[in-house]
Amino acid sequence: MSLPLRAFSGFAIIAILLVLVGITQSWNVALAMANLGIISAIMALGVNIQWGYAGLFNVGIMGFAALGGMAAVLVSRDPVATAWAAGGANLGLALVVFAAVVALVTYLVRTMKKGVAKNLSVTLAIIIGYFAIRYFYDPAVNAIEADDPASSGFLGGLGLPITLSWFVGGVFAAGAAWLIGKVALGLRSDYLAIATLGISEILIAMMKNEDWLTRGVKNVTGLDRPVTVPYEVDLQVSDTFIGWVEWWNASALSAVSGDERIALLKNLVIEQSSIFVKLSYMSLFLAVLLVILALCVFALASPWGRMVRAIRDNEVSAAAMGKNVKRRHLQIFVLGSAVVGIAGAMLTTLDGAFFPTSYQPLRYTFLIWVMVIVGGSGNNLGSVLGAFLIWFIWIQAEYVGPLAMEWAVSSLDPASPIRAHLLDSAQHMRLFIMGIVMLTVMRFSPGGLLPERLALHKRV
Amino acid sequence: MDFLNAIVLFANFVFVPGLAYGAQLALGALGITLLYSILRFANFAHGDTMAFGTMVTILLTWWFQSLGISFGPLPTALLALPFGVAATAGFALLTDKLVYKHYRQVKAVPIRMVMASVGVMFVMNGVVRFIIGPNDQSFFDGERFIIKAREFKKMTGLNEGLAIKSSQALTVVVAIILVAALFWFLNRTRTGKSMRAFSDNEDLALLSGISPDKVVAVTWILAAGLATIAGVLYGLDKSFKPFTYFQLLLPMFAAAVVGGVGQPVGAILGGFVVAFSEVTVTYAYKKFITYLVPESWAPDGLMQLLSTDYKFAVSFIILVVVLLVRPTGLLKGKVI
Amino acid sequence: MKKILLATTIFAGLTGAAFADGHEVKMGVILGFTGPIESLTPAMAGAAELAMSETAGKVLDGKTVVPVRGDSTCTDAAAASAAAERLITAEGVVGIMGADCSGVTTAIANNVGVPNGVVMISPSATSPALTSIDDKGFFFRTAPSDARQGQVLADVLKDKGITKVAVTFTNNDYGKGLEASFKEAFAAVGGEVAISAAHEDGKADYSAEVGALAAAGAEHLVVFGYVDQGGKGIIQTSLDTGAFDKFILADGMIGESLIEAIGDDLNGTIGTLPGSDSDGAKKFAEVMKAAGNDKVGPFTPESYDAAALMILAIQAAGSTDRAAVQAKIMDVANAPGEKILPGELNKAIEILKSGGQVDYEGASNVKFTDVGEAAGSYKELEVKDGKFETISIR
Repeated sequence: MSLPLRAFSGFAIIAILLVLVGITQSWNVALAMANLGIISAIMALGVNIQWGYAGLFNVGIMGFAALGGMAAVLVSRDPVATAWAAGGANLGLALVVFAAVVALVTYLVRTMKKGVAKNLSVTLAIIIGYFAIRYFYDPAVNAIEADDPASSGFLGGLGLPITLSWFVGGVFAAGAAWLIGKVALGLRSDYLAIATLGISEILIAMMKNEDWLTRGVKNVTGLDRPVTVPYEVDLQVSDTFIGWVEWWNASALSAVSGDERIALLKNLVIEQSSIFVKLSYMSLFLAVLLVILALCVFALASPWGRMVRAIRDNEVSAAAMGKNVKRRHLQIFVLGSAVVGIAGAMLTTLDGAFFPTSYQPLRYTFLIWVMVIVGGSGNNLGSVLGAFLIWFIWIQAEYVGPLAMEWAVSSLDPASPIRAHLLDSAQHMRLFIMGIVMLTVMRFSPGGLLPERLALHKRV
Repeated sequence: MDFLNAIVLFANFVFVPGLAYGAQLALGALGITLLYSILRFANFAHGDTMAFGTMVTILLTWWFQSLGISFGPLPTALLALPFGVAATAGFALLTDKLVYKHYRQVKAVPIRMVMASVGVMFVMNGVVRFIIGPNDQSFFDGERFIIKAREFKKMTGLNEGLAIKSSQALTVVVAIILVAALFWFLNRTRTGKSMRAFSDNEDLALLSGISPDKVVAVTWILAAGLATIAGVLYGLDKSFKPFTYFQLLLPMFAAAVVGGVGQPVGAILGGFVVAFSEVTVTYAYKKFITYLVPESWAPDGLMQLLSTDYKFAVSFIILVVVLLVRPTGLLKGKVI
Repeated sequence: MKKILLATTIFAGLTGAAFADGHEVKMGVILGFTGPIESLTPAMAGAAELAMSETAGKVLDGKTVVPVRGDSTCTDAAAASAAAERLITAEGVVGIMGADCSGVTTAIANNVGVPNGVVMISPSATSPALTSIDDKGFFFRTAPSDARQGQVLADVLKDKGITKVAVTFTNNDYGKGLEASFKEAFAAVGGEVAISAAHEDGKADYSAEVGALAAAGAEHLVVFGYVDQGGKGIIQTSLDTGAFDKFILADGMIGESLIEAIGDDLNGTIGTLPGSDSDGAKKFAEVMKAAGNDKVGPFTPESYDAAALMILAIQAAGSTDRAAVQAKIMDVANAPGEKILPGELNKAIEILKSGGQVDYEGASNVKFTDVGEAAGSYKELEVKDGKFETISIR
């Protein structure tokens, strides 16, 4: 099959699967799945920029997604004036001291000659600096966290529209990626992987424990929605919306009458308000996905895209051609992470809540990797396809897995302990299946479902 | 007297637990470092290999217990351990044959191997949870304590107690024996020497007639054995839970990198560095200092450097600092 | 396309009202069947389903309320919301008994329950933050808020003459919320929290946490955690190292499995658990025993009550319309009306059918405040000879 045909049939299959879910389960379930599929696709695009374009193995995706999520909180929440009053000043001082310590350490590292004296003074500066920061930081944090801990206890955010946080999330992730890239990109690829894995865990640990900033494990719930997304409860009392529902379901409603019609209409309004909200989200998400996808496609086809792939395929000769490999790597690492950050902010927007504890590496790092590998590393459309497909399998595995297992054990004696055990364990097949899918694709179709299109660019 | 109290306090809460934890990490890190120096990739499935080996051992332990077999004052799990090692080694060889061998043959870049190990990690994760479930399993039997805190207090008349669990002593003893045996193997036997030669210079080793298949197979067996033993000791000392073992991967990586990847001695050193820094950095020294200084100097605060919330992050901070300051690790490992 | 949509909208619209089967009314049971409190949830679901089987064939003139279970995982908000979405839009449940842990409960209420106008009655979400969520009157809970539990625990300690404690809490919204309310209440009665340190669930090693806790110099350790998770590890490590041998536990830590795992060393431990020894509680134990279940686990009375309230509200509403059910919950839970205890659900249904009013007291002495949560009494427990025994009611 030619590549465009493959891509088309791939997406057609996804669409059919979603429609099937809509019919057999419910449209709300199908749309919820599609929305998360779109967000996963954006994350997969970010990973594909790093791995597919440049061969950087980033296993810290979870951390960048969480940074995006944090941005959603910090942008959209209203500032908590009492908390600022309680601890703002000390926090500011702590920040000033922090900046001074960083400046001092940088100065010492740059100017002093190598030797014991340098090591000693740098270490001393860090230790004294640490306690100086804690001197201001600890009372500030205690004051902020003591401010109405049950329902607030943090500084709040800026009170701006939440859609802005998608951009800010990208910036947060890019900033973190720049710092990490400076440290870790010089390392061999395995070490980049280990370092990013570790750093993402540190990021999550901070979000869990720095309550003054993120409210920590107490979570932030009830985030604003984007202005274009209405609330279900408002729709349900809106005459315009009820009018739409009547028009859309005219034939279904005309089949019944009287009280039954009123009851049916009421249920349809509730049902479809929920669908309407999901569709509103979807239009926003799709727009972001299409913009990022278009940018990715253009970038990859541009001279810049050819250069980064040349670096990926042979760093030594690319360097010999005068390309600055390290700089390019840093650039790509930052760009890819920014895209993940955007997706992370979108995810938190969709959830309407920020739960630091929900970030787990299997779900937010390795699952995204499976999407990229299966979809086709180096191919943007492939990553998107892989994201939808893997997300579909991941979600449906929860529902279908136990059903399949029930069917598989139906011949066993109902009282047998083995049968009970197998039924109980069915959900763990999910990880197993993901692993097998990933290994099989890597082994037998290393390019994924939609492999990278090299032919197009062979015009040198 | 107060000085003794301080020492005992420190030993009880920092030294003894740190020693046992360090030994467990060291054994795990040894496996990672061996795999790295021979097969040249960082094995992300190592934590789950540990879980797999421990699971087999636990299942056999339960079976032995049901047959009434016991090991006197020692835990029955030690009897089951050799079988656990064998099964894990078999599983490791099977994954090598099914997964990694292909990438060696096509001379794939190391990162492909790393990704394949992520796939293997998923599979093993699923297999372990499927067989034994995701829950906590405790399989320790036999004598729990060598010395209890309360008995120690009575014996010595000190304010502070010192408890030593038999699992902690067992961990340290087994680790010492194992490391000694490993070094003897690497330095004195023909196979061990050929492994080191292979690690130093693959091409030269091949030219001198060393069979790569044999070296690879022995490496997998050793790594699987070390992982299983580390996992069982950890499980005896604390408890077994698949998710915990997956998370052990990170401190083990940290230990291997901190010590210097490819350096067996470094892995051991790294294990202890990571373990002790986790405990010492998060320990509250208030009581310790109160014993040592005159009463009027006793501190008001907890004297805790970092809250225990960040215990988990300590190993990564060390990792990042080492990567920044001395990328080859404390002992000069492979150039990264 | 439009035809398919038409067919499914009718179908969905109808199931939305749970007309799908003439004799069955579906009720969602969303609890953490996997995750940190998985050992508590089967008994909770069992108690809820007991209320359903008790009224089998009696509700709304011959209908039976049947459970549809969903997994809240207790921690993963996205998974919990997806499960609730499926129950509400695909299974068409009338209401939801659940969820269990506070974080996922908030997520489900905000994302799925309130938008779809589905009543949720949680038996165990105790976070103080849930008092103030914007629930449009659709969220209720039969377990009291932890703001109250912190107060009760502080009072218990004051009465025992304990003035200095170390506190450890599981690092999530439950643990942290409870810790905050306890700290405040304990300071108010003149107590001192020497150190307050979080512990992460699902770790194997807690020696660093215990070391830090012990260093602060308190003799008693207050544990706000889960019985199947870090809480158990903390207690085990404390005993092993001789750091603490006196413990004070909150509701999440009360469970037979703790005593089974730790043994006699736990004797003398005190704790609090929502509940009462009212007639209702005794009656509930009898009902459970009659159903072949002689263990009244934590949150089982609240679970039974949550399901029972929903059933009575359905009967009072006279339909399975979700909004109508919501409107009746407060009526059946509070006075005026005839008092109803566990095992008397069918009597309540008869009263409602004849146009009378009921005041459901149930197993946990249900009385809803204005925002729809139990005001709550607590049992003070003490471990004696390897058993939790009720000392008094507060």
